[in-house]
Amino acid sequence: MTLLTDEVRAYIGRTVRYTAPEALGRSSIRYFARAVGDDNPCYTDDEAAARAGHRDVVAPPTFVCETNQYADGRPDDDGYVGHSWDLPVPEGTRLVRGGHEYEFHAPVHPDVVLDVSWTVEGMEEKTSRSGTSLLLVTSLAEYRDQAGTLLARNRETLIYQEVAT
Amino acid sequence: MTGGTTPQVGLALTPLRRCLRSVDLVAYAGATWDWHRLHFDQAYAAERGLPGPIVDGQMFGALLVEQVQDEFGPRAQVTSVVFRFASMVYAGEPVRVDGRVVEVEETDGCHRITVDQEVTVDDEEGRTAVKGARTVVEVPVDGQEVPA
Repeated sequence: MTLLTDEVRAYIGRTVRYTAPEALGRSSIRYFARAVGDDNPCYTDDEAAARAGHRDVVAPPTFVCETNQYADGRPDDDGYVGHSWDLPVPEGTRLVRGGHEYEFHAPVHPDVVLDVSWTVEGMEEKTSRSGTSLLLVTSLAEYRDQAGTLLARNRETLIYQEVAT
Repeated sequence: MTGGTTPQVGLALTPLRRCLRSVDLVAYAGATWDWHRLHFDQAYAAERGLPGPIVDGQMFGALLVEQVQDEFGPRAQVTSVVFRFASMVYAGEPVRVDGRVVEVEETDGCHRITVDQEVTVDDEEGRTAVKGARTVVEVPVDGQEVPA
């Protein structure tokens, strides 16, 4: 089965931008740190953050790459609210994560209002060992603050796997 | 947090162990605004032939960073993380993050330390969840905290 149709390929280069409706806030940073079980005091304690050279508490580095806060979406039938390309991939596939490449350029503080752009960088079709088709879609997200300062980049690979029938 | 470890190539980081229970997946889903049913709905997972709700793979990115920062202390700044998923992890499975220093460079008053990491399910089968992970962290050479 061909997954990389002309209709799908047309998404390469497409860009979408999101601006968060409010600043991240201290509570969302504490919530995330608690949820992942990371007790680094720089995430919650002003003095610890100052001792580490920060002007305010900081978010765990991967936080901006993991949250969907900025997308301000409503949950779909599956409960998902984050960014999606809704690629017109032929029926009979399932979607899994391939991997991530994160770069962190500046600390993220509670007063940051996220400005996020997503771009489809490329697509590649492969054949699995069992002979089914795989479509690898690589996208780049860039996270900036309200002054335009680059905070982080997230290159994400998603894989559409043909489900054997 | 141990902190202040002198970086040397070959150093094995203290393994980070975590059991990702349903309650942890729900907390993570809330904290990241991702309420996808795959991460908490047992019946939804079963309909798709899965043995249970699956751990959101991005959660492992947070654990990779946590292991490195715990090792090198609060002034350590992680500058990049690269990781690939090898297999799904299901609610209730214990995981273990292992890391090893593969490169240390001294630059601009910092040690730039490269750590190779892997996440495995911490049971007898020990399947790999995240492979080929590589995290780069910069630690000030003096290793001291800034006076308050």
